[in-house]
Amino acid sequence: MRVYGLIDGNSFYCSCQRAFEPRLKHRPVVVLSNNDGCAIARTREAKALGVKMGDAWHIARKRPESQSVVWYSSNYALYADMSRRMYQVLAERLPAVEPYSIDEMFLDLSDLPGDLHERCRQIRQDVAEHAKIPTCIGWGPTKTIAKLANGLAKDHPHLDGLCDLMDPVVRQDWYRRTGIEEVWGIGRQTKQKLQDRGIETIADFVALDTKSVQQMLTVVGGRVQAELRGQSCLPLSDISATRKSIASTRTFGRLLLKWDEIREAIAHYATRAAEKLREDRLEAAHLSVLMQTNPHNGDPWYAKHAAITIEPTSDARDLIRHATELGRALWLPGYRYFKAGVILSDLRPAGSQGLMFASRDPIQSATVMAALDAVNARFGSGTLRPGSTGLKRTWSPRQSLLSARYTTRLEEIVRARSW
Amino acid sequence: MNYQGDRTTGFASPAGDNIEGTIDLMSVALDLRQPSRYPVRVEGDALLGRSIRHGDILVVDSAVSPRAGVVVVASVGDELRVCELTQRAGEWWLRSSSPQASSVQVDDDTDVAIWAVATGLVRTDV
Repeated sequence: MRVYGLIDGNSFYCSCQRAFEPRLKHRPVVVLSNNDGCAIARTREAKALGVKMGDAWHIARKRPESQSVVWYSSNYALYADMSRRMYQVLAERLPAVEPYSIDEMFLDLSDLPGDLHERCRQIRQDVAEHAKIPTCIGWGPTKTIAKLANGLAKDHPHLDGLCDLMDPVVRQDWYRRTGIEEVWGIGRQTKQKLQDRGIETIADFVALDTKSVQQMLTVVGGRVQAELRGQSCLPLSDISATRKSIASTRTFGRLLLKWDEIREAIAHYATRAAEKLREDRLEAAHLSVLMQTNPHNGDPWYAKHAAITIEPTSDARDLIRHATELGRALWLPGYRYFKAGVILSDLRPAGSQGLMFASRDPIQSATVMAALDAVNARFGSGTLRPGSTGLKRTWSPRQSLLSARYTTRLEEIVRARSW
Repeated sequence: MNYQGDRTTGFASPAGDNIEGTIDLMSVALDLRQPSRYPVRVEGDALLGRSIRHGDILVVDSAVSPRAGVVVVASVGDELRVCELTQRAGEWWLRSSSPQASSVQVDDDTDVAIWAVATGLVRTDV
């Protein structure tokens, strides 16, 4: 019997911070978005104080009730490593694990011997002990049901972090009590459409005639309904097969006017994207660049992007050259730029296409890039980098509340007093 | 060139069937790729009796079951401590290296918990 599970880290980013700092155990913790803009992860205690998702830090921190909150800049090096640990604990125990997002993983729980509830309880305990991340697990006959079960496990403390929706009778009971907006794939617009027709609960939605669901919400909506009925339409996917594009985009630490500064940032993004390409042994044949002003600060709105097809490459130097050429054409003086990015697509395995008139010697290129990657692997990301990415980098995002990178930098590991 | 004492060009190596590879310390005590392993920097010389010095890097493992006598990293209130673990009447205690200090019982209710058990040590200044 097919059983899908979904495990997710409770307030994942905050839990990563807590893993290394006992003083945070009972305190409200909030992690801020890139550039220390707004709240993107909150512990239960922070939610209780009224900190909302998306609250701007510069406003929220001044509220009297926020006094006890411990704020952090997002520390993605740490979160990625903790996510890796969580994945590894799971992969050692289960036949298949699909990392769906940094803090959520689909699990193949089919045909496991013994009691499934006990098994999931044990997995949850192991992840908490080994990877130091508290989680919830939900499971059912389809991914959509597993995701719903996971949400219920999170919202209902009496479930002890575990929710089993295999039994259709149990499922139907939850369906009657749960709003349609709790379902994975039902966005705000879809919810509105359904509510306009008097459909409030999942049970209402599941009871609808299949044809009318497809008419109203296309094939996608039909699939959601089928999955909720227990017919699996979405299998587990492989990690490598899913990568279709690589994006490296960021908001700047401050608004940028000058092309020289933006060029540095774009060169940096291209370098990062090229690194990701090489990690996966891919080359990109399509590159696009975007650039925009801040939509929220009253500045005139300017947002443009441009794309070109390129000779397949993962060489940072080529990608920088293409990206800065494209970027130069997008840049207009007079605007205060807020964000830029480089997106690579049409990805293919490295060296899959022997070009007869390649503009760069592929062996020489691979050697240079391998040396670059080796230096950066040994001495830390960004140690050796193309000069065009700038030295001072005044455009780097603000990270004024960054914690140590406890597991990826030797100078920053946890300290403990001997006693 | 990857010569391991086996593929000789003139006389066939008599060791050909007995190649075992170099000892990989990383895979034994220090493998930080394991999801339960963490590096911890020791501060202070309180554990000199266990040959653990200020500045040492302990490799600790949160999947290893605690045993009496092991060195652990434990959270005590707001701080992390490196200390010895003992067992008395079925209860776990953190034992201070100082004879004056009394032991602290491991107990979730008082916020004393074992964070991980030491499995290896790296000293970069010998």
